[in-house]
Amino acid sequence: MRSLIFIFLFFLGQSTFAQENSTLSGTITDARSGETIIGAKVFFPEIRQGVTSNSYGFYSITIPADSHTVEIRVTGMETRTFLLDLSKNLELNVDMGGDIQEFEEIVVNAKADENTKSAQLGQIDLDIDQIKTLPAFMGEVDIIKTIQLLPGVSSAAEGGQGFYVRGGGPDQNLVLLDEAVVYNAAHLFGFFSVFNADAVKSVNLIKGGMPANFGGRMSSVLEVNMNEGNNKGYHIKGGIGAISSRLTLEGPIKKDRGSFIVSGRRTYIDLIMKAAIPETSPFYGSSYFFYDMNVKANYKISERDKIMFSGYYGKDLFSYANNEDDFQVDMPWGNGIMALRWNRILNDKLFMNVTGTFTDYQFSFISAQDEFQFSLNSGIRDYGGKIDFSYYANPLHKLKWGADYKFHTFTPMSVSAEQDTIEFDTGLAQKLFSHESAVYFLDEFDLTENFRINAGIRYSTFQHVGPFTRYIKGDGISTQDSLVEYPSGETIQFYHGLEPRISMRWMLKDKSSIKAGYSYNYQYVHLTSLSAVSLPTDIWYPTTSIARPQKGWQASIGYFRNFLENMLETSLEIYYKDLRNLIEYKEGALPGDNVNDNTDNLLTFGRGYSYGAELFLKKTYGKFTGWVGYTWSKTDRIFEELNEGNPFPAKYDRRHDLSVVGTYKLNARWLFSASFIYATGNTLTLPTSWYVQDQDLLFNYGQRNSTRMPAYHRLDVGATLYSKEYKIVTDPATGENLKKKKRFRSNWAFSVYNVYNRANPFFLYVDNDGDFLEGNFEISVKQVTLFPIIPSVTWNFEF
Amino acid sequence: MKHTFYITLTLLIFTSCTKEVEIDIPGYAEELVIDGVIETNAPPFVMISKTKDIYAPTDIDAFLNGFVSGATVTVSDGTNTVVLDEWCSDNLPPGAGPIAAQMFGISESELANYHICAYLTLDPSMSGQVGKTYLLTVELDGNTYEASTAIVQPTYFDSVWWKPEPSTPNHGFSWVYLTDPPTKGDAYKWEVKRINIGMDGEPIDQNFKVPFSPVFNDQFFNGLAFEFAYENPFAFETETPEEYLGLYPLGDTVVIKFSKMDAQVYEYLEKKYLQIQTAGNPFSTPTNIPNNISGGALGVWAGFSPSYDTLICQP
Repeated sequence: MRSLIFIFLFFLGQSTFAQENSTLSGTITDARSGETIIGAKVFFPEIRQGVTSNSYGFYSITIPADSHTVEIRVTGMETRTFLLDLSKNLELNVDMGGDIQEFEEIVVNAKADENTKSAQLGQIDLDIDQIKTLPAFMGEVDIIKTIQLLPGVSSAAEGGQGFYVRGGGPDQNLVLLDEAVVYNAAHLFGFFSVFNADAVKSVNLIKGGMPANFGGRMSSVLEVNMNEGNNKGYHIKGGIGAISSRLTLEGPIKKDRGSFIVSGRRTYIDLIMKAAIPETSPFYGSSYFFYDMNVKANYKISERDKIMFSGYYGKDLFSYANNEDDFQVDMPWGNGIMALRWNRILNDKLFMNVTGTFTDYQFSFISAQDEFQFSLNSGIRDYGGKIDFSYYANPLHKLKWGADYKFHTFTPMSVSAEQDTIEFDTGLAQKLFSHESAVYFLDEFDLTENFRINAGIRYSTFQHVGPFTRYIKGDGISTQDSLVEYPSGETIQFYHGLEPRISMRWMLKDKSSIKAGYSYNYQYVHLTSLSAVSLPTDIWYPTTSIARPQKGWQASIGYFRNFLENMLETSLEIYYKDLRNLIEYKEGALPGDNVNDNTDNLLTFGRGYSYGAELFLKKTYGKFTGWVGYTWSKTDRIFEELNEGNPFPAKYDRRHDLSVVGTYKLNARWLFSASFIYATGNTLTLPTSWYVQDQDLLFNYGQRNSTRMPAYHRLDVGATLYSKEYKIVTDPATGENLKKKKRFRSNWAFSVYNVYNRANPFFLYVDNDGDFLEGNFEISVKQVTLFPIIPSVTWNFEF
Repeated sequence: MKHTFYITLTLLIFTSCTKEVEIDIPGYAEELVIDGVIETNAPPFVMISKTKDIYAPTDIDAFLNGFVSGATVTVSDGTNTVVLDEWCSDNLPPGAGPIAAQMFGISESELANYHICAYLTLDPSMSGQVGKTYLLTVELDGNTYEASTAIVQPTYFDSVWWKPEPSTPNHGFSWVYLTDPPTKGDAYKWEVKRINIGMDGEPIDQNFKVPFSPVFNDQFFNGLAFEFAYENPFAFETETPEEYLGLYPLGDTVVIKFSKMDAQVYEYLEKKYLQIQTAGNPFSTPTNIPNNISGGALGVWAGFSPSYDTLICQP
């Protein structure tokens, strides 16, 4: 029935505009670098209709055949205006930001009215240039930390990378780097993100009303697109900071046709540690560092075909040595990601993208002490392919459809241990194989002048296939442990489901709008965590016959209004979210329990819900820009086997979350920025009582997450000093002084993290000290704080 | 895996700072704690106390007042049932000294200086025997708590020895060679005491002490024969130079008490020591310790079948 409705709507859109129409299509690029521009607005002022370019810079709009003025608007660039005879279809590729002066008009924010006009709720585009000007922790510009400053998004803990969107878990965010899934977006136990800001072109977060072309996660989509590289000339940029340095090289493969970019980053904490730990110390040899590299290349095969290759490889390596005990641990982990894409403009209304992806996340732990050796591996590897079509029927009607497939290989935990010639029984190396696929159809259309609907449906399937060994635990009395072996390729479990998505926008007379959305999502992968903090040891686990797919729905409604000619964007959104089949480890499970067993035998399943209100106020242009985000929310979990079946607050349940972010451009050389965060403290489980058993002091824990840490608040400030943009040269012929733009530019970025040195809680624990019989025994609650005030400075350059 | 947590913690300690805070911890409810043990050839011994609020006073009086009198405690081996008598540390029956000293955490010679009460019996028929299962019943204030534990077949080491470390020729770990029986589920506990004669003419240790991680089972080595080492837990009590931490000096004489237990007792001890080891570690999940007592009391009713070996620290 649903498909009939879509077909009807499709033809409705077609028939209305069947006669005397012409299509204008093309690609919008940056004249300086040749990079395609995402979200450029192509606008016809006389008929007040327009379209924005997609994530490949492509646009298409079909309007009545006539002469039209068309404006191309890009944030921060001069608007270009063309007078076109659109009596027939026309292709118009536009270079933006060049020296063309005709019809000059400065538009500071091209997407200014998108806030109220688009049908999408809960979506935020972040300007990468603005991210770079915000205060940075230890001088490392960080996309994920900036995301955490948005309403509805909270951080896991001080400095942490895990982010929680509207009460969803950290595994419920679909993090995409050039359309390939990133499973672990963190370096150094979560203090830094894997995204090197120099290699990133755009960041888009969808936290509610997920469109049907995205799936596989329940809470949000974080789309990160990499720079494509300058196809006009070679450029180098980089930065030298307190703990790391970056270098990026970009240039044409063939001028105006193809380009590449290579960007690398490495920390030097290991060098500092090497200098700090003398050779005589038992800890000599302990070190930590991470590096990552982004590579992208693109080539325009023809006017209609373009291929792009994106790659990411990053690794963290932590080593710990205690030479006295002859003890050595190495802990490497990292992601390898590749995406190969082919864009084809099939005709002036139909755009196709085909993507092949490879994602690999591996974690290892290797330890040796004397003759004893232990190693552990865990990871996930995906091969995927997808195809997407975008059809621009007319300005009031856009369609998208496509299909998506992934082959997953999960290695939850593979352990080996040996001593001399003795090999310990650590069970079978567990591997789980599965096929995940989906098809979707999405239709955005204006039902009336003021009423826009974005409706879609996604059908997803998941198939767990052999080989697989299922451990069945006996009670040890009447039933014994047993194994069931599934041969290669055999379907062990199959799940499927329909995921309807809809969002609507109603434009009011005063240019404000009301939007509402509903989405239903399935999620077939789970992140299992034994600890209260995100760690690389957290294990990705697929849906199986025991671990059922997570599923849930979210409904949201919001009021959107802009003021002062779109300079001030405001919105108020409220949401309710219901989540099923969430997972947690059973009470008392230990990491070692994963050995000689299936991880899902250790899991318990429950549900959760979250509701809240988010207020967002953003000043988009002017000398001063920034935003204020405030969230009121409540997030609970209910697990039959945990907390005696009683509801308990999620650890990141926060009643209040406020962030204030601002940048002020004083002049061409100085820019100042600041951010302030206030958040209700995270919840945690602390012991409510103590007792003594066999002389040992033991603790008894009460209700789960019933204690709340003190509130978190912090102010960071930053300042950037840019080098002079122009130099004065004397013309040898005339002797005249001329202003010439410098090729080499640099800036000093100063940051102070935690300006007023607030001792924010990272975690609390109950400590005991002394001896009963000596009369000096004490029990107290201790708070651990990670980061005091941290100033940093980074020197950035480009030429 | 445990190392992962410690290493991560070490890393955090480099940058972190700690301070005491006053924070509301809601949900305190008083609960009964039953701490009972029965070992081969020893009488059953049960102490009953109550939990205390985290912010309750922690002086010696609070500790002493925490023990519960007036409970009816019985132990049955399936054939005989005996009601235990309440005895106090300053008035113990003959033969109960060592186990009382171990349970109270007071040296045997000092027991008389305190008045801490527990339940035990002098009835020889209830002395622990290998192969028997013992049912404990505690009745108090109209509530009944029950627990059952078995004394399983002991396993003896093939050999024990001391071996100096390469960097410290006069200090080394205690080593043993163990052949694990072929059936799965063997669980072990390691305890030691040094019996060198001290300045006062008495052995230097009165009570057994456990190392950092004293219990393990044969999950990973069922039926295998192998050697392993344990550290000297006493070396952490006194000011020991860093290079000798965990090592026995040449000349020590050490009694190793190597006990076996049933699966429920093992699970209790495994989680108990995990709680002790991970106290204050943000990467651990705070969990209550599962036990073998029905009726809602904390603690454990533990049967052990120890084997003893004497290790003389000589090459």
